[in-house]
Amino acid sequence: MRLQLASVVAMLSLTATAHADGAVSVRGVYYKERATRVVQPMLDGTFDVGTKGIVTAHFLVDAITSASASSGADNAMPFTENRYEGGASYTHELDSLRLSGSAKYSTESDYISMFAGIRGELDLAQKNAVLGLGIGVSRDTISAGSAQGLATPMIECESGMSKTECPLATTAVFASASQILSKNAVVAITYDVSGLKGYQANPYRTALADDGIAPERHPNWRLRQAVAGSLRYYYPRSQTTFIGAYRFYRDNWDINAHTPEVRVIQAVGRTADAAVRYRYHSQDKAVFYRDRYSSTDITVNRYLSDDVKLDTFTGHLLEAKLGILGEAFGMSGHWAGARFEGILEYVRQQNRFGNAIIAHVALTVPFDY
Amino acid sequence: MWPRTTRDMVLASVRYLTTLVIVMAISASGCVVVKAHERGNLAKRSMTNDRDAGETRFGQHATGSREGADGGTGQPGGGCGCN
Repeated sequence: MRLQLASVVAMLSLTATAHADGAVSVRGVYYKERATRVVQPMLDGTFDVGTKGIVTAHFLVDAITSASASSGADNAMPFTENRYEGGASYTHELDSLRLSGSAKYSTESDYISMFAGIRGELDLAQKNAVLGLGIGVSRDTISAGSAQGLATPMIECESGMSKTECPLATTAVFASASQILSKNAVVAITYDVSGLKGYQANPYRTALADDGIAPERHPNWRLRQAVAGSLRYYYPRSQTTFIGAYRFYRDNWDINAHTPEVRVIQAVGRTADAAVRYRYHSQDKAVFYRDRYSSTDITVNRYLSDDVKLDTFTGHLLEAKLGILGEAFGMSGHWAGARFEGILEYVRQQNRFGNAIIAHVALTVPFDY
Repeated sequence: MWPRTTRDMVLASVRYLTTLVIVMAISASGCVVVKAHERGNLAKRSMTNDRDAGETRFGQHATGSREGADGGTGQPGGGCGCN
C-alpha cells in the first residue's frame, strides 16, 4: 500500500507547474459497529494548474475486517478484504463560470464501480448567488463468492437470468443554488435525482419466509431523489458559526426519509476551532420489505429482502471535532498553515446494524511549487 | 408489494425541479448584494466548507452503507459493495 501511495504522489507531482499552490491531506479513519470494523487510510491532493485550473485527486483503501459479507445479516461468515478507490477531477474557471469533470474507480473482490461526471457552476449578482448543475453516470459490476473464499457462484441478475456477474447502471443529476443573505449568512439548496437500473440486491443475503429461505430479490429499477437545504450564520462577537441543514428523501420503493442536522463551530483564537454536530435520521420501510415473508414463491412475493436498511428505523449521530493549525505549536513556514484534525463520532441506530463509533485523524499541509 | 410507479416519481421530480428553478430565479435576481470587501466573515472556513473532501467522502460512504436513503449530497455514491 505504501508503494501505491507513493505512486499516486509521484503521479500527481507530474501535474505541477512553477509558482502554484496546492495542499496534500492524509487522513486515517477507524469505523466500528457490531459486525464490521473498517480502517480507511486516504490521501487527497489539490493542485493549481496554470492560473485558472485546479486538479484534485484522491486514493484510499478500505480495510474491512471481521465483517459479514452479507452486510447487516445475521449468522453470516466473517471475512476480510480490501477495497481500493482512486479519483480525480479538473476544474477550469471561465470568468463567472466554473466547469469541472471528475472520474472515480473503485474495486474490491466482488464489486467494481466506475464513475464519470461533469458539473458547471455560475456566479451571479456579483458572486452573491451561485447556481450549479451536474450529471454523473456510473457502471458497476457485482459478483459473489470471492469474499466468502468460494468459487464464484451464479446470482440472479433478473428474474430467470442467472450469471456470475450482474451490472448496475446509475445516472444522476444534481442541481444546487446558494445565496448570500447578509455579511454573516448564506443559504443553499440542492436537489439530486438518480435512476438505478440493474442488480440491487446483496448476493450473500437470504430472506426468511414461512416455507424456508431464498436469495434476496430486489426490483431492478430504483428512482431516488433528495432535496436538501442549509443555512450558515456567523456570529462575529463570539466567532461562532451556526449551521442548520435538512434533507428530505424519497424513492419509488416508497422509502421517505427526514434528516435534520445542526452544527456549531467555535473559533478558539486564530489557530484552532472546535465543533459539535448532531444528526437525526428517520425513514420509512420499502414497500416490499418484511421481517418474515409468507412464502419464497415468486408468484406470491415477487420481491424478497433481508436488507435492514430498507426497514423503518431512526438514527442519531453525535460528533465532536477539533482542528488546530501548526502555528499553535510554534511551527513556521508551510507547517504553520498545516491543519491537524481529530474527529470522534458516535452513531446510535435502532436496527440490526447496532451502534457505531467513528474516529478520524488528519493532517493537511499547504505548499507551493 | 409493487414499488411506486416510475411515472409518479418522474412527475414528483418535475415538481421538485420546478420549485428549485423558482428558488434559483429568486437567487439570481440578486435581491441581496453583499460587496466583495464585506465578505470577510463569509470567507471563513466555517462558512465555506468546514469539512474536508476525505471527511465528506467517508461520511457519505458510511451513511450509504447504513441507511436506505442515500443522496442529497450533490455527489453520487457507488463502489460500496454493501448493498
